[in-house]
Amino acid sequence: MGSHAKAWLVEDESAREMLDRVLTERPFLLLPPLHRVPLRVGNVVELVGPSSSSKTHILIQAAITCILPKLWKGVSYGGLGHSAMFIDLDCRFDVLRFSELLNHRIMEAANGSSSKVGCHQKDSEAQFERMKPYNEELFALCMKRFLYIRCYDSSEFLATLKTLHYRLQKEREVHGVNVHLLLIDSIGAFHWVDRGSSSFPLEYDNRKSWHLQNVSEAVVQEIRRLLLVHPMLVMATKAVVLGNKYSTNELTCLL
Amino acid sequence: MARLANLETEYPVLDSTVRNFCASHGIFSVEDFLIHDLYMLAAFAEQNNSSERLKEGIAQVLSIIDDMHQPWLNGMELLEDAKRNKHVFPTGIQGIDLLLGGGIRVGQLTELVGPSSSGKTQVCLRTASNVARNHMVLYLDTGNSFSPQRIAYFLGKTINPSSAQAKNQFLQKVMSNISCHSVFDIFAMFDVLHQLESYLRCQDGRGGCQMRLLIVDSISSLISPLLGSSSTQGRALMTSTGYLLKKLAHQHNLAVLIINHTVGGEGGYSKPALGDSWKCIPHSRLFLSCDRGSNNYNVSILRHPSMASGKAARFVI
Repeated sequence: MGSHAKAWLVEDESAREMLDRVLTERPFLLLPPLHRVPLRVGNVVELVGPSSSSKTHILIQAAITCILPKLWKGVSYGGLGHSAMFIDLDCRFDVLRFSELLNHRIMEAANGSSSKVGCHQKDSEAQFERMKPYNEELFALCMKRFLYIRCYDSSEFLATLKTLHYRLQKEREVHGVNVHLLLIDSIGAFHWVDRGSSSFPLEYDNRKSWHLQNVSEAVVQEIRRLLLVHPMLVMATKAVVLGNKYSTNELTCLL
Repeated sequence: MARLANLETEYPVLDSTVRNFCASHGIFSVEDFLIHDLYMLAAFAEQNNSSERLKEGIAQVLSIIDDMHQPWLNGMELLEDAKRNKHVFPTGIQGIDLLLGGGIRVGQLTELVGPSSSGKTQVCLRTASNVARNHMVLYLDTGNSFSPQRIAYFLGKTINPSSAQAKNQFLQKVMSNISCHSVFDIFAMFDVLHQLESYLRCQDGRGGCQMRLLIVDSISSLISPLLGSSSTQGRALMTSTGYLLKKLAHQHNLAVLIINHTVGGEGGYSKPALGDSWKCIPHSRLFLSCDRGSNNYNVSILRHPSMASGKAARFVI
């Protein structure tokens, strides 16, 4: 009896050890433009706004910061060097714009480092030409870290979530990449379609019908389970319809 | 969605033990698996007598589910596909082409919004005549506004004067590339689009003249009657239409041009019809208007994937 009671009092780890462990397993991810928000791996963030309020742009910027390396061939890019997954439910992702933004960030970082040394104009142009193959190599490396899928309805989305665990495991084993960022564009995309799915009575009592509540619960459950096994930062956007007072300014610039 | 019983011939793992176990948890088809908790199911399977077989069955269903979604692509593969397939088609109208940086893009939905007689149909006919020179065009007409004479006029303006016979042959060839269907309600449009999807699935991969432009003139006349305040069916149908068009545009490399009307907003300003839920569907939205009593039109960008809204231009048809 006495030994059992004593076993309760033995400590597992000190507070410092726990802090170290938690900060390595679930680190802070400071991704611009949300770098002032203390987001940690395992958090779920929802970006809400009306149409055309740059929600997708924030996701794209976060993805670019995630896939750029911290330091590469002597140049500091300030990224995280991890993979990012993008689930496109809105199906409006423009990869050409994404690649433009990535190129722009790479050039900015490269030029930033060269201008610190204090080169002349001609020197910097020559250096730019020299850096071009490195930039292209880095560009290819970063683009390969960006994983993309689009879903045209809720069943495809649920199928993606259910098989995501195995895909992440495979990525980790085969390529050795760790995905730390999961971006979902427009989590409310299929709201009306699911709401309109008629839930006519099914022949068996315990059978779940396919309507909005069951689908939403299934999505939330899958994401929760996924975060237990593969800790990631999840960022989702949602388009909302604001009240009338915000929509008057829409066409004033045209008339 | 396939019932599990019907899948047994293809996947013998899904025999009656597996099916009875699933039935006891209310799962009768693959779709039911999607809204059920598979980890709980696996836990129940552990406690069952024939747990090995059940776990094999669940693994088999998971691999079936893996085929149900689009493939994962990385950034380089996406970029490759965009550069190879997603070209830009000029509309043939200089002002619009300059504003859009080339024209309308394959794989994207471009919406033309404007009040009556603001040139929307004219822009569509001009674009159709331009694209039809080399590719096939499908024109879905809801208000009998398609005019073959106008298309012939546009084509006539741009070809070199040669013999009347050569001119005729050219006209014949280009006009035969345009197919026009009249649809007067949304279900007829769904019908045509599903037939188009099956047709394109067979055509993709074969050479020759491919379909590259789909015009819907106008989508608001099909959807507005359905958008009442009480039922959600209207918005569900509207969203489904949008996604079907996006799927066709992306998977079969079509440029889609949609026409929408305007309705009165607050303060007397007009705003695009179909409400706020429609705003998230098209990739680009252009607002057209006409100067009274002349052939001068104005176009401005309401939304574009890579340009700021508010940019405007003028054009003449």
